[in-house]
Order: sequence, then structure tokens, then C-alpha cells
Amino acid sequence: MDALTAALKIASSGLNAQSERLRIVSENMANAQSTGTTPEADPYRRKTISFVSELDRASGGALVEVNSIDRDPSAFPVEFQPGNEAADANGYVKMPNVNVLVEMADMNEANRSYQANLQVIKQARDLISMTIDLMRTQG
Amino acid sequence: MDPVNLFDLASKQSQWLSVRQSAVAGNIANANTPGYVATDVEPFEKVLDRSPMRMSATQSGHLGGITQAAYVAKPQEYTGALMPSKNTVVLENELLKAGEIRRSFELNTAIVKAFHAMMISAVKG
Amino acid sequence: MIGSIGSLRLTPAAGSDPASELAPGGAASATGFGSPATFAEALSQAATRTVDTLETAEKMSLQALTGGADTRQVVDAVMDAQQALQTTIAIRDKIVSAWLDVSRMQI
Repeated sequence: MDALTAALKIASSGLNAQSERLRIVSENMANAQSTGTTPEADPYRRKTISFVSELDRASGGALVEVNSIDRDPSAFPVEFQPGNEAADANGYVKMPNVNVLVEMADMNEANRSYQANLQVIKQARDLISMTIDLMRTQG
Repeated sequence: MDPVNLFDLASKQSQWLSVRQSAVAGNIANANTPGYVATDVEPFEKVLDRSPMRMSATQSGHLGGITQAAYVAKPQEYTGALMPSKNTVVLENELLKAGEIRRSFELNTAIVKAFHAMMISAVKG
Repeated sequence: MIGSIGSLRLTPAAGSDPASELAPGGAASATGFGSPATFAEALSQAATRTVDTLETAEKMSLQALTGGADTRQVVDAVMDAQQALQTTIAIRDKIVSAWLDVSRMQI
């Protein structure tokens, strides 16, 4: 596999990885207020994603894969909501350990990385085009 | 000293640029991978000095990185502040490199196109 | 310098003098072609190189169409073939027109 085709493969693995990351961010944001239904039940626990670099046999390039999707082990914050069905005896409800601002920052980073990978794909495709174009001169 | 063949040299540079492009692609794709060290190729002038046909034993595939006719992308030493994740990729630098690669490639193909057309028209008379 | 741009050129025998040019060729060079000592030999070597170049281009193109070969290598091979073919055609045309001129000469 020649190097430019390998670059396409690598960049598309990057796109996949960042898409997964955005999916996790959107799950976290959507469930930022999802408490449990009873006082004993835990609320939504924030998901985290980690990547790992894989050496591709065919091309020798450094692909990126999703290593694992884990749960954030940090403690649940509590809010005073006595009317909530999940409120304990003192009226406190355990809330998901999701910080919307952190998720927004993560989303921006994921977008930036996604755009950068997209740029690589466009460029590699253009370089291959340029090479093939060489043959099209008056000859 | 043998005169250098222009098309051969352009071919070698294009191979070198392609390997560099895939190194940049790997760095950008792994910009968020913990422990990943950014790779790059040696400067083109250094590679030209060595005979392209001689592949030393240490340049086998297990070193990682794209190889094409003895151009290898190797992990680079990082002198900046190390992130807690030990990832050494700086996205801005990678995008700068991508721009350089594109310009060099365009110049390379333009030169080859021009001289090819000149050769043909010179011979056609 | 112009000679170092293209891939096909007629190389005269190194150090040959006019008296020995009609003698058969000298030591073999690294490419396996003997150093041509006559113009006819030089032409025939050039023609052989052209055919080799065309065959290489065809082989690389077949690879590109079926399995996938390195793009730049295919392009380089095809361009070399274009140059070599044009050069050979030009030489052939000159030889043919020279022969026709000779055949029209009054005896």
C-alpha cells in the first residue's frame, strides 16, 4: 500500500475515533439531569472514552482505535430537591457527575480534531490526483 | 560525478513527501492518544546523501511507521512541556507541516509536468 | 545538463577514436549493455531500451488496474514510455526520410 493511500486510511480511523468521542459527549450532555427513580438508585454516571494507537500491518501506519469506554468514578453531586421522587429523607437528590461546561470543551476539541483529520483526507486525495494528472499532459 | 536525473530526483522527493504525509496523518489521528510520540521523517537532504538502495538492518518494519524505499518515519524527540497524557502531538505544527508538504508536492508535479512537456515538444520538432 | 533530464539517450563509447569506431564493442557496463562502438549498435541499444521502457510501463499499468501499485511509480513509468516512444519515433522518421533522400539521388 503506498504512503498516500495509507494516509487516507489513517485519517479515516481518526475520523471514526473522534465521531465516537462526540457520541459519548452527546450522551453525557443529554443525560446531564438524569437522576435515578428511587432514593437508593444511582443517577446517570458520566462516560469517558480513551484511544489507543494501533500499528497497521498492511501500511505500517499509526491508526487510532477506541481503547475502552469507561465510567467516570468521581462522586455524584447532591442537590436539594425535596419534591423529586429520588429525594432521600433530607430532600437531597444525587445528580449525575456531568459538568456541562467540561462536556462543551470536550466537544470543541473533538470538532477541532475531526476537522484536522478531514483536512488530511482532502489533502491526501488531492496529492494523489496531482500525481495522476502528470500523465495527462500532451504526450 | 554522474549528472543527476531530474525525473529520478523528483520521484524520490515525491516518495519522501508521501511518507511525511502519512507520518503527519498518524500524528493528527493520534493527537488524543495517551503516550503517543509524534513521528516525522529525516530531512530530504540527509536522505539523499545515503544510497537509496541500501536498507540497513535496523530499518525493518517492526520499528513502526511507513517505509517506502528507505524513507522511515521515526518518533521525534520532544523538547516542549510534556502533557500529563505524555502525548507529544502539537496540532498546529502538524497542520503547518501538511501545508509545507502540499506546496512542495505541487512544485514537484509542476516541474515534472513542465519538463516532460518540453522533452516531448523538443523531440517532436 | 539537458542530457541528464531524460531517461533515453545515445551514449557514445567512452574514449573511442574514429579509427576504432567500426570495431565491435568494448567492456560491458553496469546496465549490461556493452559500450556501443558503432552508430548502428547505439541505435539498436536505444531501441531495446525503448522497448524495455514500454514493457515496464505496461506491466506497472496492469498492476495498477488489478492489484493496486504505487501511483507515482506507475505515472513515472508511463511518462518515461511516452518520452522514449516520442524519441524513437522521431529517430525512425529521420532515418526513413534520410533513406528516401538517398534512394532519390541521381546516380
